[in-house]
Amino acid sequence: MRDGFYGYVRDDGQVGIRNYVLLLSGTLYANPTCERVAHTVQNTIPIVHPLGRCQIAPDLAQTFRTLVGHGINPNAGAVIVVDHFKEAGCEADAIAHEIAQTGKPVEVVNIRNAGGVVQATAQATNLAVALNRTITGQQRDKVTLDRLVYGINCGTSDVTSGLSHNRCVGWVADRIIEAGGRVVGAETTEMMGGEELIREKAKTPAVADKLLGYIAKMEREILACGVDLRGSQPTGDNMAGGLSTIEEKSLGAMMKWGTTPIVGAVDYAERIGREGGLWLMDTPGHGGESITGIAAAGAQIMSFATGGGHTINHPLMITMRLTGNRESWSRMEETTDVNVSDMFDGTTLDQAGERLLNEVLDICDGKMTKAEALREWNAFAITRCGPSV
Amino acid sequence: MTQVAAEPQTMLRALIVHPDDNVANLIGPGQRGQRVQCVVEGQDQIETIDLVDDLPSNHKLARRDIETGEPIVKYGLIIGKASRPIRRGQHVHAHNIESNRGRGDLKS
Repeated sequence: MRDGFYGYVRDDGQVGIRNYVLLLSGTLYANPTCERVAHTVQNTIPIVHPLGRCQIAPDLAQTFRTLVGHGINPNAGAVIVVDHFKEAGCEADAIAHEIAQTGKPVEVVNIRNAGGVVQATAQATNLAVALNRTITGQQRDKVTLDRLVYGINCGTSDVTSGLSHNRCVGWVADRIIEAGGRVVGAETTEMMGGEELIREKAKTPAVADKLLGYIAKMEREILACGVDLRGSQPTGDNMAGGLSTIEEKSLGAMMKWGTTPIVGAVDYAERIGREGGLWLMDTPGHGGESITGIAAAGAQIMSFATGGGHTINHPLMITMRLTGNRESWSRMEETTDVNVSDMFDGTTLDQAGERLLNEVLDICDGKMTKAEALREWNAFAITRCGPSV
Repeated sequence: MTQVAAEPQTMLRALIVHPDDNVANLIGPGQRGQRVQCVVEGQDQIETIDLVDDLPSNHKLARRDIETGEPIVKYGLIIGKASRPIRRGQHVHAHNIESNRGRGDLKS
């Protein structure tokens, strides 16, 4: 088994598997400026979103934490934060200040100070070109597997999820953890019904209680809306794929966790601790929101396992897709990286798992995912805890 | 000499994830009247069940008769309960089982 990968070792000890200039939009109103620069300058990644303004304080803090987490993510070699004004609680200078603690180059472009969006675009374009010149000379170094933070997620789940591809992800998670690495899972909705398993797998009762608290809170919030979960979860595509209840969906989703204990639980977009092992984050089942939380926690790469086929791709955390459903592979091979549907025809979990791990490490070394080659940037979405105000 | 192609496999296959499960997962689609070979994961023993309903791809079938209110077990854990009697070989899905969680009408 391979014991490491080639990455960009950062000043703060994290290891990037890409070396992008990140164009980080501070608010909805800076999005087009980031996108214009990204269309012009090679090796830049735009992160755009509808938030950063008129949010209640806990939401604004969550937006701030998520944006900072993306700036800190080691796949960004340098960052340009773009903003149109100063928003107390989510200010571009404060975001940049936090990111600068990593030692990576950070710049701020303020649209109002620049003299408008055209001037801001010019300023950010010049900065992006210069930052590329600064960071792209850096070489990849061989590092051991314990430097990997591996994100795990799934979507458009069906019955094959719990039987094939999620188990494969769990196999890879086990190998990375055995080597001292960290794995980050999420999706509180898909822990509902799995409480018994969580109690068994949690390293300490405190970890179990924290996770069970997240689940209970989510269930309360759903009921407080005057609805029950049936009709929303499992989703229509889950049901068509043979999943009958949220419990069945959850237990299939939890196959991704592998067999090692859960060492810690964190809030949405919170950074995980240094301890190697499986970490779980409180996020909704919504794919864009859950994988955004995981990227903010510092994962360089994610395996996204899909039953019915999926088009999700995070802009900064490299998202490799796999399926163990033969029909999905035939329909969506163009954007699915790994097929393990032969697990239904006698291929063992060890064989399929090793194939997935090799692909993960190839991608860490620089091999493009199919979605990356297509420059698909569709899954940055910050979750919310309250209304817009 | 002409090579004779192997007989296409007519017998359906299904997977039972845990020995305690009362449902099995069909692999691919199935039609009423077809015979299914069910394998319990990690065991050599095969159970044969005749399908009572048509089944969409990869859906569940009952491994034995199940009473209304009885737990539905998969992965060795409860995934819901029967909302009506289910016969061995019948399609098991949202029409005859229901969740115990996230519901306003039940205490969780």
